[in-house]
Amino acid sequence: MSDSELFDVAVKLFAEHSRWQDVGDADATGWPDNLWKALQQTGFSDVPVPEELGGAGGSVADAVQLLRAAGAHAAPVPLAEAGLVGGWLLASAGLALPEGVRTVLSPAATLRLDGDRLFGTAPAVAWGHRAEHVIGLVDGVVVLAPGPATQSGGPAVSRGVNLADEPRDTVVFDGAPVTARADAPDGVTEETLWERTALGRAALMAGAISAVAAMTLRYSGEREQFGRPIGRFQAVQAHLVTIHQQATVVASAVDGAVEAVELGRGGFEIACAKMLADRAARLVTAAAHQTHGAIGMTKEYPLHYLTRRLWAWRDEAGGHRRWADRLGSALVASGPDALYPAIQSGSEVVQ
Amino acid sequence: MVSLPSMVTSPPSLTAPELELRKQVRAFLAETLPWGTFEPGLGMGAEVNPKFSAALAERGWIGMAVPARYGGHDATAVDRFVVVEELLRWGAPVGHHWVADRQIAQVLVRYGTEEQKQWLLPRICRGELCFCIGMSEPDAGSDLASVRTRGVHDGDGWRVSGVKVWTSNAMRADFMIALCRTGDGERHAGLSRFLIDMHSPGVTVKPIPFLNGSTDHFAEVVLDGVLVSDEMVIGEIGQGWAQNADELAFERSGPDRWISTFLLVQEFIRERPDLAASPDGSRLIGELAAQYWVLRRLSLAVARAIDAGGTPAAEAALIKEMGTRFEQDVVSALRELLDRELVCGLEPAPSLFERLLRRAALDAPSFTIRGGTTEVLRSVAAKGLS
Repeated sequence: MSDSELFDVAVKLFAEHSRWQDVGDADATGWPDNLWKALQQTGFSDVPVPEELGGAGGSVADAVQLLRAAGAHAAPVPLAEAGLVGGWLLASAGLALPEGVRTVLSPAATLRLDGDRLFGTAPAVAWGHRAEHVIGLVDGVVVLAPGPATQSGGPAVSRGVNLADEPRDTVVFDGAPVTARADAPDGVTEETLWERTALGRAALMAGAISAVAAMTLRYSGEREQFGRPIGRFQAVQAHLVTIHQQATVVASAVDGAVEAVELGRGGFEIACAKMLADRAARLVTAAAHQTHGAIGMTKEYPLHYLTRRLWAWRDEAGGHRRWADRLGSALVASGPDALYPAIQSGSEVVQ
Repeated sequence: MVSLPSMVTSPPSLTAPELELRKQVRAFLAETLPWGTFEPGLGMGAEVNPKFSAALAERGWIGMAVPARYGGHDATAVDRFVVVEELLRWGAPVGHHWVADRQIAQVLVRYGTEEQKQWLLPRICRGELCFCIGMSEPDAGSDLASVRTRGVHDGDGWRVSGVKVWTSNAMRADFMIALCRTGDGERHAGLSRFLIDMHSPGVTVKPIPFLNGSTDHFAEVVLDGVLVSDEMVIGEIGQGWAQNADELAFERSGPDRWISTFLLVQEFIRERPDLAASPDGSRLIGELAAQYWVLRRLSLAVARAIDAGGTPAAEAALIKEMGTRFEQDVVSALRELLDRELVCGLEPAPSLFERLLRRAALDAPSFTIRGGTTEVLRSVAAKGLS
């Protein structure tokens, strides 16, 4: 299946199981059971984990296409955590996928491993309270541990939410034994975990921004004021152009990041993609809300399912400052004559 | 209900032959134009140097995409992108051949008569010819279709009269490609394009001093009953507007629309390494690099789309609108970081960074005006959304 075919199939799945109504219900209940089941049955939750480790196979590009579709439908599930980030982390260390809902502990967590016992606190764990398994990288060791939703003896959890009411829970480990552990291979570090996490967020943001673009364009053609569709006014057209420019920028940036990751690199490109997605989120949400006017500020109209997520995701997986500081320091250290070659060849020149 | 942006966003990375071409251009520049031996320019506003243009042409890098039988190399738009990108980021003096290479060669290949092709294309490809573009008039700027310069058929030719303004390089151009009204019918259908020999009787070029005092760039061109033969009509009478619209995909999407102030960033790192390495400095460098990286990808994607037979004019408008605003943002962000007055002594000459910064501070407003204003581009781009 080509990437665009996969995207189309995924869009159909989300259109059926992640309607705005479902997203709204999940805000209240914390979990869209039908959607998650559909993702498990299709294997989409297990991309790109190799089949021999219990996954569904597929490439990073495939996983990113699924996340774009998920982002476009504001899918309220830990899809990035299950596959692109957590699945990858487990597979990198040769650990098999467990049955059940799984999520990832952010590289910002302060954790300590003492033999098989895990200690410490992991903040803002996506859907932490629903997770039967949690995956983390602790002192160079990939860890699979029981999550708060495991049948008994799971870690303590206190609930939290981001701006979009997506669960971001704090999970506290008090020395309970892990399920499995294995040394992370070379090339899997705290920084690459940050990068994977950022790539996942950028992919979701690309999808959400493309959906905001479509929704806003449609609205501007339907809504009439002064006797004509508002999209015919130059001032409104300027908003539409901004939105489509930024959708194009983020789509291209995410493609570029995927291309680099598939070549075994990606530090430069992911930093760029996350920075650009964060900037785009700011510009696009402002222009989309301005175009919609008051209706866009209501719970009833679905724009907020997308824009609230974009506001939240901007700062997740490292906000624009983290990535700009990192990339800028590396570029300055490489000197003036490496700057343009880096712009041309990215992480082939500067990591 | 949701689709990815319609534009081709993902340029397959450069092929081995394209990368080899880039290596050759870099080696040529290092040898012909060593850094530190010339005054680097700000993108397409760089110096005019016919000798450099001739040397470049000798390597086959002007009019590259022109068919070999007319003196070109049957190269692709991406090949041209590769060459132009290296030239611009080096600040090379491309002024003499710039317009001919960027758009006139393609116009002639697409619309020119066999005679025009045989006569002009080899000379363009040898880097000999300098062209200017006669579009704007005193009463026709963004509203280009209201041009009043008129061509009246007279015997076996046309008499062209009118005034063109803001014409870059008119004082040294061999030819102007002029948009003129030849019919009274519909607004757009009555427009045609002529090749005007700038040495013809009736052509007067009056420099218009630029705000920095420079008189060697901008001009007003008065056309007073200039005789233009039928052979100098480009394509067909009445086709001018459509030709012009096609041309914009080439004119608006290239690296020249986002790279103009790149050398400021590079030389800032060279001359102010401490400030560049400060938290604010490196953050800014990171942000700018991300923008350059993605604008370059989009620009390359348009070149690939042109090679695939498309005329992505709306996409080109989206890129130019963003790219030229970014060129300006680079200048203001660096000034904000420096946070000082731009005062320098006259002796000794200020450093390269200082010279570039001063030039850019004064030139920057033109970036979002030349080649279609930001406002016009938004209208063009908005029409392409659906």
